[in-house]
Amino acid sequence: MKGRLTAYAGYQLRDYFVMRALPTLLASGLVALALAAARGVTPSDLDPTGGLDARDRIQQTFELLLAAFAFVAGAVAAHGVVSHHRRRGYDRVLFSRAINPVRYYTQGFVVAGVGAVVLGTVGAEIYAVAVHPVSLAGVAGYLALAWLLVGGLAFLLSTVTAFYLPILCLVLAADVAVDHFTGPLSAVGAGPVAAAVQLVLPPAHVLVTLRAAFARGLPIDPRAVAWPAAFGAACIVAAMALVRRRPFRS
Amino acid sequence: MSTASDAGPAGAGGSVAGAVIELSHVSKTFASRSASPVRALDDVSFRVAAGEVAGISGPVGAGKSTLLAIVAGHLRPSSGSVRIDGIEPRRFVEREGIAYLPRPLTLPGGWRVSDALTRLAVLSGVRPAYTKHRVEAAMRELGLYDDRGRRLRSLKGDARLRLGLAQAIVADHRVIVLDEPLDGMSAESLDRLRELIVRLRAFDRAILITSRDTAELQRITDRVTLIDHGRTRRPGVPRRATPADVEGVFHITLHHGGEHVLAVFPTAISLGRSTYAVRVSDLAALNRGLRDLLERGALLVSVTPAHAAVDASALAMNEVGL
Repeated sequence: MKGRLTAYAGYQLRDYFVMRALPTLLASGLVALALAAARGVTPSDLDPTGGLDARDRIQQTFELLLAAFAFVAGAVAAHGVVSHHRRRGYDRVLFSRAINPVRYYTQGFVVAGVGAVVLGTVGAEIYAVAVHPVSLAGVAGYLALAWLLVGGLAFLLSTVTAFYLPILCLVLAADVAVDHFTGPLSAVGAGPVAAAVQLVLPPAHVLVTLRAAFARGLPIDPRAVAWPAAFGAACIVAAMALVRRRPFRS
Repeated sequence: MSTASDAGPAGAGGSVAGAVIELSHVSKTFASRSASPVRALDDVSFRVAAGEVAGISGPVGAGKSTLLAIVAGHLRPSSGSVRIDGIEPRRFVEREGIAYLPRPLTLPGGWRVSDALTRLAVLSGVRPAYTKHRVEAAMRELGLYDDRGRRLRSLKGDARLRLGLAQAIVADHRVIVLDEPLDGMSAESLDRLRELIVRLRAFDRAILITSRDTAELQRITDRVTLIDHGRTRRPGVPRRATPADVEGVFHITLHHGGEHVLAVFPTAISLGRSTYAVRVSDLAALNRGLRDLLERGALLVSVTPAHAAVDASALAMNEVGL
């Protein structure tokens, strides 16, 4: 008797909204607050009557929020997709059913990603009505891209270790840091080394670069999107191969 | 219906007719970083036929759970071969699924009993029209109906064990593997388990049960194989299925209208080719059910007591001198 895995997607989506939506929003809010504090943004900066400068600050604040949500949603959407099940031993009951573990986890990952994009887009709509207009299509597109990269990497890491979150933060921060220092390194002739290192690291800095264009609904160069999208897709394929090779904890 | 196969280790090669689960010279060694490798199973062979209930007994650490994890496809043997219906266990499970009670049973604590069973029924492939019937029947059979709204984290001991059995039987699987179902079970639940096994046996299922309680295992199974330190200490001696095992079970064959069977007989199991095995308390209940089935538009071809099949099988075995 084949399992009805497609029918189970509804339960997976419900699980996302019941168990992960609130933690995602709370953690995004905390990260956004930390980023805003680091940049000296205050509540008075959100006054839309303050002229063009104020509108620009509002837009930048929204982009901070978007960046925080995109990272947190990607990480939380993929949280324990595999490692949590293995650690708790849920896999033994689930995979005694006539279902393919690779399909089960991949479907869970995709469904959680859809949940994250919907949650973020609804949040952006509320922001647009309450504070300042934003491009909803751009926000959805950016969240999907961030989910593909951050979520895909989290999915891959969760198939090999239960401590995926610190590693995820570390490699994403390392990429942004390398990108930050690439200029000076290039200047002294170390450019190829930095470029090689960046090729191995997840292209988080590309997400940072694209954020403003997506949020403002500006045209996006497909070539700029290709790298993070291809990196994320490669992570997902690698995660699926690892699950196929080792579906269970032991 | 098939009866119990002959006991003893399976041969080195080849599938045995009627055998559903077959282990041949299976060994399992776990690597250890800090100590020498642990040999959990050492050259274990046996088979379980359709309609047979086999027991594996042994002390803690004997290798019983490892054996069941291998049969469930969760572990791969280090050497030897394991086949279910002639194919590797993982492939069999992904194709057909099995009823598996692992110990400890772990499921998300936030799920409620009926929700958990519904989810697992969906994952098991129970059709939407039957899901509610199946879940309710499993809860009633295992005495969980009054607990249907409770969260799993609040279920302890015996209730959790009954949930484990309910999730295993919520769908209709040909292979049933239960790890230590007797451990921590109340007397009342033990009665339920005995009835459950009698019902499932009548439906030609291959059932494999482990327990440390050899005496009780001998009461509820056809044969018990003793293992210790991963080795077979005593191959099981068969107790053949008797008509008493299938008392109250009937095989119903329909021309059409099979979709109504579960609505009328919630614990019915499909035997294929439009034939269903149903258990009823008495003939009056059977006739009431059949009338209901006909009123729903089903067309009946035949009704046969299941013990007739056992009798015929036993007769055939006697004739060939088994």
